[in-house]
Amino acid sequence: MGREGQGMDSESLIAAVIGLEAEAQARGASDRPAVRTPLGTLEPLLRQLRDRDALAFDMLLDHTAVDWPEEGRFEVMYRLFSLRHGHDLLVCADVPRDHPVVPTMCGIWPSAEFQEREVYDLFGIEYDQHPDLRRVFLEDDWQGHPLRKDYQDPDMLEDPRK
Amino acid sequence: MGLILDKAPAILEHIPGGSIVVTTLDWAINQSRANSLWPLAFGTKCCAIEVLMATGAAHQDLSRFGAEVARHTTRQADMMIVAGTIVKKMAPRVRLLYEQMAEPRYVIATGSCAISGGPFMYNSYHIVRGVDEVIPVDVYVPGCPPRPEAFFWGLLTLQRLIKQGETIRKPGIRTKPVLSALPAGMTAEQVREEIARELERENVVDVNQAAERLPWAAKVREWIQNHSSQP
Ligand code: SF4
Repeated sequence: MGREGQGMDSESLIAAVIGLEAEAQARGASDRPAVRTPLGTLEPLLRQLRDRDALAFDMLLDHTAVDWPEEGRFEVMYRLFSLRHGHDLLVCADVPRDHPVVPTMCGIWPSAEFQEREVYDLFGIEYDQHPDLRRVFLEDDWQGHPLRKDYQDPDMLEDPRK
Repeated sequence: MGLILDKAPAILEHIPGGSIVVTTLDWAINQSRANSLWPLAFGTKCCAIEVLMATGAAHQDLSRFGAEVARHTTRQADMMIVAGTIVKKMAPRVRLLYEQMAEPRYVIATGSCAISGGPFMYNSYHIVRGVDEVIPVDVYVPGCPPRPEAFFWGLLTLQRLIKQGETIRKPGIRTKPVLSALPAGMTAEQVREEIARELERENVVDVNQAAERLPWAAKVREWIQNHSSQP
């Protein structure tokens, strides 16, 4: 698949995303074009990002999450890349920490299946409609989700120098 | 072979002079064990690049020690080089692979990860703090990662352990584990010289000196003197 030109620059990408979804905003503090959008609009927005010819994000490079316990939220992140145009974009959404349920993106990018299992494994975020939501790295009988900041483990050692 | 070796000491010890045979057998067996250690390629992390790949390549050349035949099946290996972090999920597999190796089996733990958990010791949910929590270790080689010459130093230590410490009288009994840190300020050149000296000492046999070390050497000397003094 040949690339057509260099793709869009940051400002026009962000403007195009906001044109698609009025509630999305640019997200500061990022090394690449990034937008934040409410959870409810996440799935339709991502589907349009893949389907629009001018954007054509046909690849989900990475999906991960960040835990912000003081603010009581997880931030889920989708790092998208367009093989056709060669531009990339970060899409974020906030999920409440006490009820972490996100719609699955397996219908848009099949590669999301394993990445969502990984996030479920390490953060305990659940994916609505996911075909096979099981742990992927840790053992099946593992208790808790270790990348949560408040994770406790009897085997864990605290650094005595702190 | 195993059966003969198991039975040999029990039979031989009762024959007059049998102990000498057992001791000589020990010497020969230990020499061959020490100089044909076949490592199990067991690299779990960054140490593997230094300890298994760099040492095996032409510049460092692991085959000088008879240890270059890296096996990828436990059945053919007799030394496990644990090069890298062991995580909780890996630990049962390490144990299984160790159990599968044939006796006698040796373990070298290289790098701070395999010794103690290293940089991942604190606040980590996945680490096993030292591979010796799972399997017995013979030689520890510190470093992050150890340089190839430090690893060779560890290998030399293991070879010395085998040559001195083992006997078929007590199969499976081993000397205590050893920390084999490269002495401070030692350079690669010095390690190479040490290795050359060691090899030279072992491979060159001075027949006269060897005869002197035998238990009946004094008697032989006496006999020769007595006979040469008589015209
Ligand atoms: S000791 Fe250092 S080099 Fe070796 S596996 Fe651990 S982190 Fe990597």
